[in-house]
Amino acid sequence: MGTNLRDRSGRVRLQVTGFVETGTLRFGMNIFYGGENVTESAKSQNDVPLETSTPTGEASLESIFCTEELHRRPSRPPDHEKENRALVALVSALADSPTTILQTLAETILEITQSDSAGLSLLTKEDGGKRFYWPAIAGMWNPHAGGGTPRNFGPCGDVLDRNCTLLLRHFERRYPYLRLVMPAAEECLLVPFHVKGKAVGTIWAIMHSDRRKFDAEDQRVMGSLGKFACSAYQALASIDDLKSQVAEREKAERGLRELTDSLEVQVRVRTQELEQRNKQLAEARARLTEEKLSLKRSETYLAEAQRLSHTGSWHLNVGTGEVGWSKEFFSIFGFDPNKTKPSYSLNLERIHPEDRHRVEQLRWAAIREKRDFEVEYRILLPGHSIKYIYSIAHCLASPSGNIEYIGAVMDITERKQAEEELRRSEAFLAEAQRLSLTGSFSYRLETEEFTWSEQLYRIFEFEQGVRITCGLIATRVHPEDIPLFNHMIHRAHRTACDFAFQHRLLMPNNAIKHVRIIAHGTQDKDGRLEYIGAVQDVTEHRLSEEALGKARSELAHVARVMSLGTLTASIAHEINQPLSGIITNASTCMRMLAADPPNFEGARETTRRTIRDGSRLSEVITRLRALFSKKDPTPEVLDLNEATREVIALSLSEFQRKRVILRTELADDLPLVTGDRVQLQQVILNLVLNASDAMSDVEDRPRELVIGTEREEGGRVRLTVQDAGVGFHSQAADRLFEPFYTTKSGGMGMGLSVSRSIIERHCGRLWAAPNDGPGATFSFTLPCKLEGVLGTRGLRANRTAVVGDAQLVQENS
Amino acid sequence: MVGRSLVLVVDDDESVRESLPDLLRELGFAAHAFSSAKEFLASDYLSQTRCLILDIAMPGMTGPELQRELWLRRQEIPIVFVTGNRDETVRSRMLDQGAVECLFKPLSHTALRKALKRRCAFEGHPACP
Repeated sequence: MGTNLRDRSGRVRLQVTGFVETGTLRFGMNIFYGGENVTESAKSQNDVPLETSTPTGEASLESIFCTEELHRRPSRPPDHEKENRALVALVSALADSPTTILQTLAETILEITQSDSAGLSLLTKEDGGKRFYWPAIAGMWNPHAGGGTPRNFGPCGDVLDRNCTLLLRHFERRYPYLRLVMPAAEECLLVPFHVKGKAVGTIWAIMHSDRRKFDAEDQRVMGSLGKFACSAYQALASIDDLKSQVAEREKAERGLRELTDSLEVQVRVRTQELEQRNKQLAEARARLTEEKLSLKRSETYLAEAQRLSHTGSWHLNVGTGEVGWSKEFFSIFGFDPNKTKPSYSLNLERIHPEDRHRVEQLRWAAIREKRDFEVEYRILLPGHSIKYIYSIAHCLASPSGNIEYIGAVMDITERKQAEEELRRSEAFLAEAQRLSLTGSFSYRLETEEFTWSEQLYRIFEFEQGVRITCGLIATRVHPEDIPLFNHMIHRAHRTACDFAFQHRLLMPNNAIKHVRIIAHGTQDKDGRLEYIGAVQDVTEHRLSEEALGKARSELAHVARVMSLGTLTASIAHEINQPLSGIITNASTCMRMLAADPPNFEGARETTRRTIRDGSRLSEVITRLRALFSKKDPTPEVLDLNEATREVIALSLSEFQRKRVILRTELADDLPLVTGDRVQLQQVILNLVLNASDAMSDVEDRPRELVIGTEREEGGRVRLTVQDAGVGFHSQAADRLFEPFYTTKSGGMGMGLSVSRSIIERHCGRLWAAPNDGPGATFSFTLPCKLEGVLGTRGLRANRTAVVGDAQLVQENS
Repeated sequence: MVGRSLVLVVDDDESVRESLPDLLRELGFAAHAFSSAKEFLASDYLSQTRCLILDIAMPGMTGPELQRELWLRRQEIPIVFVTGNRDETVRSRMLDQGAVECLFKPLSHTALRKALKRRCAFEGHPACP
């Protein structure tokens, strides 16, 4: 019975089941106890004297009472066997068919008392016991079963009031109500019975004739049965209770179940409905949001796109004349969107008067033929500014014959200007190239494909558009510059780099041009090399530069002469001081000797001073020599490679000018040295410039200059400068370093001498050696940093002496 | 030596300071030498000095600076400059600025005597030879 409720309301189901089982158990127990009780009551009834239960009647009832006669009448012997059988039958009947137990009880009473009628009267429960009803009657009154009387309409009330067994004769005499009940009762034996101390009803037996009279045995048996009746009543009551409880419970359960079920169904249905609804709502909302967003996005995109592209849109209904413009349209045409109502004529007014007619004609021709059109025109804005407009329109002809146009206008002023600008800058560029004598080119190495500007063709005096190759270019390169040119091409092929070169061109008419090439190398993502560069004809510039160079060298010469002059003055001053003393002393001496008498003592003194000043003069000259060859050194730890690179950087333009190809071979692991950076750089510069000068007349081979550094045994580093110049005889190797020895026309012959003294003061060595081939190599070595510290001390000692002299000279000059 | 005109020598070069006073004495002057302008200014000789033989280039106060200092002190002592740098532009500048003479070292005693003589002719000094 609980399975229907199992899924959702398990708790309810369990309670119901538990109740039913408990009820069943209780029901069973009652039957058991009931049976036992009956047996016990039957026994005890035997032991108890009947007199104790005999009531005293009321005077009014006296006439019908004959209870005391029971004891006077001869009593039949008790038939215990029969009685027990009857009781057992009753008990089993109670167990098997409790609903009919009262009828069975009535029949049992009838049989045991051998009466004519027997039955039970029970007080009604519903009205608080105001009536008796007859649930079961056996015998002759059986047809009256189910009937009843008010409480005081029959003897039962009296029996209960007196709470004892009563024997009545012709009770209809007292209770007229019962006169109608036929056949009339001769004698009636009534026994009250109680449940839990409360009188609930009676059992009775009636004799309708005098064929037999009730005796004491009947009274005893009735008492015993009265006890049983009590049990039966209780059992029935319990059953009724249970039934009603079960029924109620079942009803409640059913109600509950129905309620639950209906609720569940309702909830389920409602939930489904809600879920469905929610889903629909969510979908609708998402759709709406998406649509809104997408709409907003589209709108924003469109507005932004229009703004960015300077494009406005419009539509025109030809039939109604209705016109619509986008925000950007207003903006392009210089209308205020808040104050202007779009109209065709308003649009037309803006069109430049010179273009208006053409645009009008074109538009109406298109409208007549219902076709798309596009047109370019100018608009004249307030303030007389002009915009260029490109307009495109699409015709939408509906079947009803209504013609509508949608279109876009684009502000192409900037594009027009840019085109114009481009045309102008192209013209400018060409002009600029012509004026600056500069051509530009690009060169793809992979395909050996050159692209030349017009001016470049002009510079090389090739016919415009001729296919350019390296070979073709080489025909114009000056033969002496071919090595340089080849070197440049070779370098360009090796790796993407930026380079700048100058070389000469030899034209077919033997004219010489100087060109400067600057190129930038790039590598595309596939690793293909491309150079983009410019070539400038610097012949004029070069010629003036050469003139300038000459002037510069003359100036340098003058400067040298002047510095020599300064030196001369300084030397003269230093020498004149003691010389002045010598001459004055000699003059005084002469005068003293010429005096009369001669002052021999004075003469001796002045002569002594003359000799002393002579030696002083000699010292001054020595000091001056020292000063001439020494400067104030500042020792520091330095990287010879770095110092060399700085010198190279300073000399690059010189190399370019002299068409020297420089190669550097600087060692990576060169130790540091200690020395005066400026002095060492002077030495390097001197060697490099000498090497460059030595190659100035070389035309039959590349003017290659190699600067290298390397680490030497014994904690020393070496720098070499190798040229391919005129060189020298090995016998002359030592004379090179003597002061004033020079092989150059403009040279002073001091550079190498000074350089050697600088290197020697750094505890190093400077020497020269002729090459196996043309040219010479100059080298010097220096101690590395650790040994250099000792050298520094030496430098410091020297320095002090030099400083002293320098101050002396400065103060006296 | 009393009555001889006092000629003072200011020169940082010791050989000049040693030799020149002897020659001046031989020429008939009283002579005294100072190694610096500062030393001279500190001495008592300023007012008695008839002529000053002044080296141009000296450490501390130079010859022309001393000349200016004397002007400021209103000590108008005739000055003969001497210099080791044979530079005519310097000489003419010195003469323009009021020097009696500017002589180059080494000094010729003839030129020196001439200069002092010119100075003495101007002063009408009796002791001049």
